[in-house]
Amino acid sequence: MTLTPSLETRIIHMISQLSAVRPAEIGMQDRLREDLGLDSVCSMELISMLAEELDLDVALEEAMAVTTVSGAVEMARRHVLAKAG
Amino acid sequence: MHRTEERETLASLCESLARFARAEIDPLRIDREGRIPPAVLAGLAELGFFGLSIPERWGGAGFSLRGVCDAVTALARLDRSVATTVGLHLGLGTRGLVAFGSEALRAAYLPELAAGRKLAAFAATESGAGSDLAAIATRAAELLDGRLRVDGGKIYVTNGGLAQVFTVVAATPGLGGARRGHSLLLLERGDPGLSALGEEGKLGLRGSSTTSLHLDGVEIPRARLIGEASRGMEHLAHVLAWGRTAMAAGCVGAAQVALEASSKHAANRRQFGRTLASFEVVREQLADMAALAFAMEALVHETCAAEDQPLLLASLSTAAKVFCSEGDWEICDLAVQLHGGAGFLEPSGLPLLLRDARITRIFEGANDVLLAAHGTWLAAAVPARRALVLSPRLSGAALAADRLHATFAQRRDQLRARLGVRLLLQQRLLHRLGRLGVLSAAADAAVSSAESKGDAQSRHLAIHFVALAEARAAPLCTDPAPLDSIDAITSALLAGQAS
Repeated sequence: MTLTPSLETRIIHMISQLSAVRPAEIGMQDRLREDLGLDSVCSMELISMLAEELDLDVALEEAMAVTTVSGAVEMARRHVLAKAG
Repeated sequence: MHRTEERETLASLCESLARFARAEIDPLRIDREGRIPPAVLAGLAELGFFGLSIPERWGGAGFSLRGVCDAVTALARLDRSVATTVGLHLGLGTRGLVAFGSEALRAAYLPELAAGRKLAAFAATESGAGSDLAAIATRAAELLDGRLRVDGGKIYVTNGGLAQVFTVVAATPGLGGARRGHSLLLLERGDPGLSALGEEGKLGLRGSSTTSLHLDGVEIPRARLIGEASRGMEHLAHVLAWGRTAMAAGCVGAAQVALEASSKHAANRRQFGRTLASFEVVREQLADMAALAFAMEALVHETCAAEDQPLLLASLSTAAKVFCSEGDWEICDLAVQLHGGAGFLEPSGLPLLLRDARITRIFEGANDVLLAAHGTWLAAAVPARRALVLSPRLSGAALAADRLHATFAQRRDQLRARLGVRLLLQQRLLHRLGRLGVLSAAADAAVSSAESKGDAQSRHLAIHFVALAEARAAPLCTDPAPLDSIDAITSALLAGQAS
């Protein structure tokens, strides 16, 4: 048991804020644009919110390549691990 | 329609329009009465204005975006309310149907719309969703029999009191498979549950109809979806690009009228024993206005040339909308100033031009929101720039335009390197970057236009505009003021204000 929400939960919560889709209805394989209605600017806003919250240095090119919920989680995990050392 | 044929048709149409306008279009009366006389709308329909953007197979003229914009510019030279009514019909009102409507839907509605027997309106804005269109609360839900039930309300609907056909943006969660999505719907004035409320009293564009729309259980066949279910935001991007470009073309027409009035006044008005035009400051102001108007028209034409390139069209139409609406305001304001006290009086026509210009910085996307979004797009997408091909006589202006673009690109790259994706949370930086991009696009367009026109006056106008643009770009490359003071000031202002 962890005291902080998992990366997945935090990201799904952020997507829910941006898309107004309930967290329970968001799946890891969902596409940000086609399934959740997030346009490209909204998708990048998601990654920038993530970078701010987790204090990660993410390049814009990398943010633009994220198109799914699982892609966002993987990208965040990669940066968190790299930061941890 | 071929461009040459389109130009000839438009030229002949403009001659007929000029004759018609002399007899029928009185801007001050339209403003005073708050409506366009039905005879004017009927006359414009007779001339074919309402079908310009509609393909020939449905009774229209099949004009390109360029032809439509040239027509809107011509109308705006006569009266802005008339130009807005027609321009809205040609752009936002019918573009969704023309570009994405099913064959059956187009066949059912476009002939009447092309003939001007029916007018079109576009309804997106809501009390809780202005520039933030993703927050739209009007919903269309699928009923058991497959029909759609639409509930909600729209505000600031241009042509709302005149139109029989409405393109409405609604949230359609679940429709077409997406959990969240928006769709474009076609509603008719006679649909049970649809009601247009009374006309709004406005600062300007008083002859143009603006109403709210109340949608209470409006049931429509699913066949009235315009385009694909839940792809409304993608369709909307195209529709808005057309609408914004047509609106920018209206700004060009109004700015030209203000410039011409100012030139005439400066040539005739005498002060201190000399004409106003003999004063250096006045000549500089006239040159600034003319250079700005030249760049505005050039940017609109450059945008039209991108009609078949969706991403470039979206970007340039945003730049044109912002640049031309601000230019229109600046030129009309300078025109009032150059006229002195006479410019403050309604009979001069200048107060009307100024009042009509004000809304263009707000509607079809508030400029500040558009600038930040444009900055985001420019920062993230790093779009390629078209190389300027120029004769030696314009090399100075081209070099200056190159320099301006390099300034923009350098600033963008610097911010990307410094902040990465977090740049997208820095709204003030994005706003400035967006404005730099707009200035660079306008400079490129002005230089290209001068090159293609080839005359000495165009060359001077381009050179002068690029110098102006460079001067305006310089402060945009510095970091904005620290937030500490801004936050302290606004906190004090906002304390206890939220209701």
